[in-house]
Amino acid sequence: MTMAKQLGFYLDQNYCTGCKACQIACKDKNDLPVGVTWRRVVEYTGGAWTVDDNAGTFSPHVFTYYTSVSCNHCDNPLCVEVCPTEAMTKGADGVVTVDADKCIGCRYCEWACPYSAPQFNAESGVVTKCDFCADYLAEGKDPACVAACPVRVLKFGEIAELRARYGAAADIEPLPDPSITRPNLVITPHRNAEMVGSGTGHIANPEEI
Amino acid sequence: MHVSEWPLVVFTILAQMSVGSFVALGVVQVFARRKADVATVDKLSDPALYAIGPVMVGGLLASLFHLGNPLNVFNVLNGLGSSWLSREIFFGSAFAVAGAVFAVCQWRGWLTPLLRQVLAAVTAAIGLVLVLSMSMVYLLDTVPAWNSWTTPVTFYLTTLLLGALAVGTAFVVEAWVRRTRGKEQDAAADTLMRSALKGIGIAAIALLAAEFVVIPTYVLSLANDGSAAAGSSAAALMAGGGAWFVARLVLVALGAGVLGFFLYRTASKGTEKILAITAVSAFALVLVAETLGRVLFYNQMFHVGI
Repeated sequence: MTMAKQLGFYLDQNYCTGCKACQIACKDKNDLPVGVTWRRVVEYTGGAWTVDDNAGTFSPHVFTYYTSVSCNHCDNPLCVEVCPTEAMTKGADGVVTVDADKCIGCRYCEWACPYSAPQFNAESGVVTKCDFCADYLAEGKDPACVAACPVRVLKFGEIAELRARYGAAADIEPLPDPSITRPNLVITPHRNAEMVGSGTGHIANPEEI
Repeated sequence: MHVSEWPLVVFTILAQMSVGSFVALGVVQVFARRKADVATVDKLSDPALYAIGPVMVGGLLASLFHLGNPLNVFNVLNGLGSSWLSREIFFGSAFAVAGAVFAVCQWRGWLTPLLRQVLAAVTAAIGLVLVLSMSMVYLLDTVPAWNSWTTPVTFYLTTLLLGALAVGTAFVVEAWVRRTRGKEQDAAADTLMRSALKGIGIAAIALLAAEFVVIPTYVLSLANDGSAAAGSSAAALMAGGGAWFVARLVLVALGAGVLGFFLYRTASKGTEKILAITAVSAFALVLVAETLGRVLFYNQMFHVGI
């Protein structure tokens, strides 16, 4: 049986240091203006106290982990579904792209996407997004974000292969429930990762997302 | 309170007011024809009908300011099969065109009266489908503050409330213009106007009651949603210590409730001047209240996830 081709990203949260090299490499490669950041690194922070009644002590458990997110080129892309112009399409390689010649800049996809992947560029008046560095892939190079990762925890590939090797988890806070859009994203959860819907933490860097 | 989505606020409020006015005029026609001849009824309703066109066109023009790249605007019809936003623009344009055709036929006396009635009914139906499409745009699985049955219900309540009171305002303005121009007074038309304004007063009170059932239900379901996005939306609703939200509630209660009651009373036995002031004030207060409510609605845009 041959599966339809579908590219996806992989991230190991345990060793992501939150350095944002991926974010900056993406921004540089795509010449993105201030306010448009296709790949963002979300810092999720939480914690609680454990009370030991016998010893009469309080032990803190605090955690922070990072999630590097761009577009997950979903199987059920809400951006494509809601787009009134058919500017937003899912290609043969599963990559979701926006055609600037069709886009009217209504920003409906921005409302719908739970990953904030489509982003309006005020200079061009249209929505822009991650195209998986299609030009780099054509030259046989890695996407800019993947190539930039200094700890080599951000990878890409055929989603079937990524899932076979790393599992299928994408239901980690603060990401949305993957059943909504079925993202092509695989995550090795941080040792303190909280599951979607049972998070106790919060996004510590909302101004950067 | 930020008003970055002002083109959408203006578009949705004006389009809903236009649909509501068209429907309200239809209701006036149906009731009035039992009491008066067609000529008298048309004399009352035609000027109000002609005022709807510029309002609807103004709303559609305002929506263009929302677009980053309005030159591509005709692409919006590509998604008719899948996107509610496409359907919203399609039905918005269709309502404007059908309404214009009907208004021209009514003005020039083209077609038979029966055919004109059919055309009016079709236009009203397109308008009601437009309001449904407008609300479906906001039923996004990822935006808990919008993804609720209260969105379509609120849109329809705004439509009818603004429509009824706008028509009432149009009636008293017409009467005032006739008087200042020294035209002959038409006792039959005056009686008809007063009974229409009575009905509008009652309708405003009933619609206010419905709104005051829907709003607390909505607010409590938002508070119980539990998601971070819904929490942010609730906080946005209470921006400025809730001052804008309270202002919106107080204004609609004054406009539709208190002045709705006075409208009913003055339509029975008030002077023309008091009646005019009451009708215009009720409309103005409700217009401000519903606009504030719509600004708050857009400020509540927070999607789940990141």
